[in-house]
Amino acid sequence: MSLAEDLRKKVAAAYEVDADTASTQTFDFPLMPLGTAYDMGHDANGVPLFDPRIFDSREFQRNPYPYYRILRDHYPVYHDKLHNCYFVTRYNDIAECYFDGLGYNTIPKGSSNHVLGNTQLELSGIEHSRRRNLYGRHLVGAALTKRIGAICKLANEMIDEWFNPESGMTEYDPATGKYTMELGKAFANEFPIRVVCQVLGFPDEARDKFYYWYKYMMGGIGGRDYEQKGLMARQDLEDFVESIVEERRLKPNFLLDDEGNEVAPDIISELCKTIVDGDVLSTEEITSNIALIVGGGGETTRGAILNMWYLLLQHPDQMEAVLNNDPLWDAAFHETLRHSSSIGGQPRQNTFDVELQGVKVPAGSLMHMVDFSANHDERIFADPEKFDIFRNDLYSEKILRSGYKKDGRTNHMAFGVGPHLCPGAWISHQEGSIGSSIMSKRIKNVRIATERMAKDIDGVSLAPIGLGAINELWLEFEAM
Amino acid sequence: MSADYGSPTVEHEAAAGDDEAGYRSYEVYQRERVGSPPPVKPGQLRTQDYLDDPYTLLASLRNYGPSFRDWQGNAFWITHYNDVTSVLVDSANFATRSKRWFYGLATFGRDLRNNVPFLTAQAAGIDKHAPVVAREIVEAFAKRGTADLATEFAAVFPLQLLGRTWGIPDADLPVFAERYLRMQRGFRWNTANQEAGKQAMLQLVSYFTPLLAARRADPQDDVLSALATLEIDGPAIDAHDVVATLLEGDHETLHGALANMWFLLLTHPEQLNMVNNTRRLVKYAYLETLRHSTPVLSGERFAKREVERFGLLIPEGALVICSAAGANRDETIFADADQFIVGRKDLVQREPRGQYRADGLPAGITPALGTPSKFPALPVGRPRSLYAITRDVATIASHALLDATSNLKLAPGAQPVLKSRGYGELHTCWHLPVTFAAK
Repeated sequence: MSLAEDLRKKVAAAYEVDADTASTQTFDFPLMPLGTAYDMGHDANGVPLFDPRIFDSREFQRNPYPYYRILRDHYPVYHDKLHNCYFVTRYNDIAECYFDGLGYNTIPKGSSNHVLGNTQLELSGIEHSRRRNLYGRHLVGAALTKRIGAICKLANEMIDEWFNPESGMTEYDPATGKYTMELGKAFANEFPIRVVCQVLGFPDEARDKFYYWYKYMMGGIGGRDYEQKGLMARQDLEDFVESIVEERRLKPNFLLDDEGNEVAPDIISELCKTIVDGDVLSTEEITSNIALIVGGGGETTRGAILNMWYLLLQHPDQMEAVLNNDPLWDAAFHETLRHSSSIGGQPRQNTFDVELQGVKVPAGSLMHMVDFSANHDERIFADPEKFDIFRNDLYSEKILRSGYKKDGRTNHMAFGVGPHLCPGAWISHQEGSIGSSIMSKRIKNVRIATERMAKDIDGVSLAPIGLGAINELWLEFEAM
Repeated sequence: MSADYGSPTVEHEAAAGDDEAGYRSYEVYQRERVGSPPPVKPGQLRTQDYLDDPYTLLASLRNYGPSFRDWQGNAFWITHYNDVTSVLVDSANFATRSKRWFYGLATFGRDLRNNVPFLTAQAAGIDKHAPVVAREIVEAFAKRGTADLATEFAAVFPLQLLGRTWGIPDADLPVFAERYLRMQRGFRWNTANQEAGKQAMLQLVSYFTPLLAARRADPQDDVLSALATLEIDGPAIDAHDVVATLLEGDHETLHGALANMWFLLLTHPEQLNMVNNTRRLVKYAYLETLRHSTPVLSGERFAKREVERFGLLIPEGALVICSAAGANRDETIFADADQFIVGRKDLVQREPRGQYRADGLPAGITPALGTPSKFPALPVGRPRSLYAITRDVATIASHALLDATSNLKLAPGAQPVLKSRGYGELHTCWHLPVTFAAK
């Protein structure tokens, strides 16, 4: 063989020139049995390789945890060159970064402010806490406790509708005495919206638009496919809020109890009288704060309620225990968020060149803190893929900004920790566990209407939750 | 007289109006654009659509505005000619990252490409070997009457030239080439390729260790000897430095440029005929190829600090993808930009300087080849630039092909296309079957 011929063959092999059908970009990962990762190859030492195209695949959406396990075990800080970012996947590393507000300061600049407006999301340090506290302090502690009665009332009102044949929320079969409904449509979609509307002091007509606002604004964050729709939704929200703000500036509005006493002013009224640097907040600033509450207050809690019922009903013994012991709803809520939370993690940008787990990361890189993976880190939670509300390594009491790591118990990461801890964590916890507790007292013999649910690839078993929350949960039950 | 000056009052009013609008922040600018969704979905620039036909997508990006933020790829795309060139020459604000950095081996060896003895040896070696290698390769198929110019000519020529210039014995060349190609293909996102590439780098180190010692003891007239005897600060040159220097350099662009040039000439037979009749046009065909179908679609730059440009606030560390393919088809710079026109009047025919221009004319952008040198065209004490050397080599090889053949045309039924094998890789013609009459 001549030299040229020999070289030609080497080139053809190196570039796979003759494999004309081989398309590296449209490669589709096969759907694997749950908990098993597709074999992406090994290096010379037998360490599994990791293919970044997996992040765009359907397989990863439904079966992410074995892949996160590979990252945690072998690439705790993974440089994804296809998406130009780093993934941090171990619990302790993520916690360290979350607490370091200066070194890993914010979500990427410009990723939220065009849709939500100028919020604290992209700020750090004193700038961040000042803005966050403007409304955050009305969602915790005594301010929140005052509102719990009203939250219970909202839940009961919604559940009343299930037994009202005209509402269309449920299908009733007189022969068996059973009701069938989709929990999302009948409760979980709407309940967090009603709570947030009440807290904000929105008039009732805002509820119809609320879903539109949060869906498109949150979809528009990070400039994904919905960006333009997100901008339109934000404009729509601004138009709506403007007149309310002007009104509340003159006459604050209060949440009233059944006797007509003032319980607490709503957040818009609070923001109207808030003074920062000797000046009241502008309508634009108030709208941005509202946009953040609207965006954060809907989808996440909805997902938590749906996932919690989905998981509990698949573990009847645990369901039974919760039904017999009301305080266990807290443990169920936190274990759900650990096992399958609605939010996957938070992006950060590092302020300085850093070396983390032996990987050098240049300043200004996008670093994804993967809460999903932290919550399934076997270094923290034993047998992490197992849903177990009785697990003794999960802290499920009062949510703390400082996190909790003592006597073998650790908080989950679904709300994050540190300065950027979810400001809605406490109210979301109240909605999730109180709402579910009230529900459980109004219905009995609940089961998943399996025939109406999405199935996994085998066509028989229920679809896994995967990343995020399930779309629909069909329930069959009897009235208490 | 005043009519000749247009209507100054109207212009003045317009300016005042602009002034009143004042400065609009990025957020306000974004919100004012509601209703004009971006023409490209995030992720679409990494699909097979883009690899097969980047130009349609890039044209829509260019018409959309100065920049496009690709959220999924965490990058800013720039597609206008003047913007792309302004970033590529702006080393104060935008940095390149080495292939070793992408490998995660930033401290592997030293890149010695900027040492004058190396450059001199490289230029001398290429000048000496290029005509010989070109003749050898063309003669191998000249008697046959058929050939695949992509695989037998464009792909092989740069490798064989590299081997001769560096002083790698012909007998070792296939083994060397196999490792070298694996190394060059491995620094991008594909993890399997990356693993193979890392292995190749180690194999190359063990290949070069004895060879380097031999050249140090007995220097020859080649690049390897120049490296072996190079004196620089720090520890003595070892095989890691040799491999790093090889890796950071690149033969691929010449491969792609030659294949694309012959693809374009063969699919435009009237221009091939013209070039064949007037041989000085070979060089212009090459220059027009770099503009019309650059083998390297884009250059990547990372912002060294926060900069506000192209209607965006680009944060420190952000990836800016300078789309050469988009810029080269910019209709505001090149008339009939989508047409392949050898000898076009609005393309510079000399080596570009500064912001990719010379004689006030723009040049085709090919990031790996065309970065304008800061030295004069004929520098004292240095060889001419790699841009000029590559251009001359491509011309020499094409001359050899034209000399050995007549009636060169596409094989019957052949429908060659330009394609990338993977995201970020060479955009070139992988099969180019031709028939000809031997001379």
